Amino acid sequence: MTSTTSILATRRGTVRKARPRSGDSFGRSLLRATWLIVVVLVAWWFLSANSTNFFIPSLEQILTTLGRDLANGVIVAGAIYSLTNLFVGLLIAAALGIILGLLLGELGWLRRIVDPIIHFFRSVPQAALVPMIIGVFGMGQGPKMGTIAFACMWPILLNTIDGVLGVEPTIRKFSKVYRIPRSLHFRKVVLPAALPQIVAGIRVALPIGITVMVVSEMFASIEGLGFYILNSSATFKVPETWAGALLVGVIGYVISLLFVLAERRLLRWYHASGSQ
Amino acid sequence: MTMQLQADAQPEAGTQLMKVRGMSMSYGFGASENKILEDLNLDVASGEFISIVGPSGVGKTTLLRCLSGLLRPKAGTIEVSGTVISGPHPDLAVVFQDYSRSLMPWMTTRDNVAFPLQGKGMGKVERNRVADENLAAVGLEGQGDKFPWEMSGGMQQRVAIARALAYNAKVLLMDEPFASVDAQTRFDLEDLVIKLKQELGVTILLVTHDIDEALYLADKVVVIAEKPATVVDEIITGFGEDRDQLATKADPRFADARARIMHRLRKD
Ligand SMILES: Nc1ncnc2c1ncn2[C@@H]1O[C@H](COP(=O)(O)OP(=O)(O)OP(=O)(O)O)[C@@H](O)[C@H]1O
Ligand SMILES: [Mg+2]
Repeated sequence: MTSTTSILATRRGTVRKARPRSGDSFGRSLLRATWLIVVVLVAWWFLSANSTNFFIPSLEQILTTLGRDLANGVIVAGAIYSLTNLFVGLLIAAALGIILGLLLGELGWLRRIVDPIIHFFRSVPQAALVPMIIGVFGMGQGPKMGTIAFACMWPILLNTIDGVLGVEPTIRKFSKVYRIPRSLHFRKVVLPAALPQIVAGIRVALPIGITVMVVSEMFASIEGLGFYILNSSATFKVPETWAGALLVGVIGYVISLLFVLAERRLLRWYHASGSQ
Repeated sequence: MTMQLQADAQPEAGTQLMKVRGMSMSYGFGASENKILEDLNLDVASGEFISIVGPSGVGKTTLLRCLSGLLRPKAGTIEVSGTVISGPHPDLAVVFQDYSRSLMPWMTTRDNVAFPLQGKGMGKVERNRVADENLAAVGLEGQGDKFPWEMSGGMQQRVAIARALAYNAKVLLMDEPFASVDAQTRFDLEDLVIKLKQELGVTILLVTHDIDEALYLADKVVVIAEKPATVVDEIITGFGEDRDQLATKADPRFADARARIMHRLRKD
């Protein structure tokens, strides 16, 4: 029956409509995303220029310090150390959160069993876990990655579960009637359907990860941006403290920008189909 | 295996494909039990086009869910190709009423059509070829790279039909497939389904609340009514192979059958 009577012509790639672009040039959207930051920086520069308060150095002083420590590698090594922890932690969090979320979302009985545990751990402020985990697992790099992973996993896990529960019932029926094998159903039906929610979960996890990254380096650590901030503040090197905090902010901003770009590519169907 | 699928011809016309006996279905239990279908019997032979017509809320969707193996009936049996089914069966494909929800927006139309074939273990080149063939069969030649949301409702429903055809089932079950498109698109889709049935020899079981649609399409119209619902009438339409939206509907037998069904449905 499949062999139809019509002549088959596999004209791939024809009639593909150019998808409407967001109608904005890259420059303009960059401008829109950054103008307020520029304004704030300029204001900060001038308002702090004549500061005599020991704890509020001028922006010029902060930037000079930042430039110096970037050039001599002091802060760069710390940043690399911190970012490594952050990325490994986030990767573990995403892998665990998505896999567990898919399983818990699909398996109602399992979800009902572990539900209270999930909600308990999710309600504990993540930064409060840091001293405990470091205390238990020691001060190496591994425990820091583990702490970040642990803190970041919850929003990803919960969002994945939500995404799985939100899969269109008709598509589930389709999958059943057409006897889609389980693994294929997971990979090609449930995962893409839940992806918008999963991505939203990762976006929530990013700032949590950065916070925990810094906090974890303030406990029993001799490396990283957190250590740089804590150490400089303990030795009253105020411009260094500010420079460290500023760098963390910039890193967070850049990461979330990159994330938005990646999301647009990954979820093009979701935005273009207007199903959000 | 892929070759075998391709060579798989439809069974000889007239062979019994489905046999429903004493089927009952209800939602809920005990005091809150809501009986929907009772003691329903139905036979489907190969090459037949059967319309099941009944008023809104009578239990047509429930019936189709039972037939497709999505719901287990409370009593009775459903046989497909000689075996009693307890779940979805490879000889059955469903076209859902809500096309916009049954297609996956993250896949191109080609991938949507080819996806169930991947589930059957067919290789990529082969299943893409079959998908393109079936898209062409429903009048969507060369549109495989589009996404469903780039298409009109009528086109989306064509994709859903192509997907059911590509699955190479023996019986297509359709739940009010044309209820949410405009009148002209609806006529086009009705004629498409008639054409597919004639050219490919597919067996179709279509559920609708529209008496004209039921009569125009079918070889046999099964009327279900009452609460709980059961088969109250069966009409062999006898319009033959050639149907025409104007001529067939102007046929005196059409008006007679229409009156008979309306009468049947008004009684309760
Ligand atoms: N999942 C369900 N749980 C409980 N009751 C249901 C469920 N689905 C349907 N019903 C009830 O069963 C009855 C028949 O519903 P069904 O959807 O099968 O009717 P239908 O003939 O398809 O109606 P329509 O023409 O509106 O599509 C209705 O009274 C409905 O409220
Ligand atoms: Mg219905």
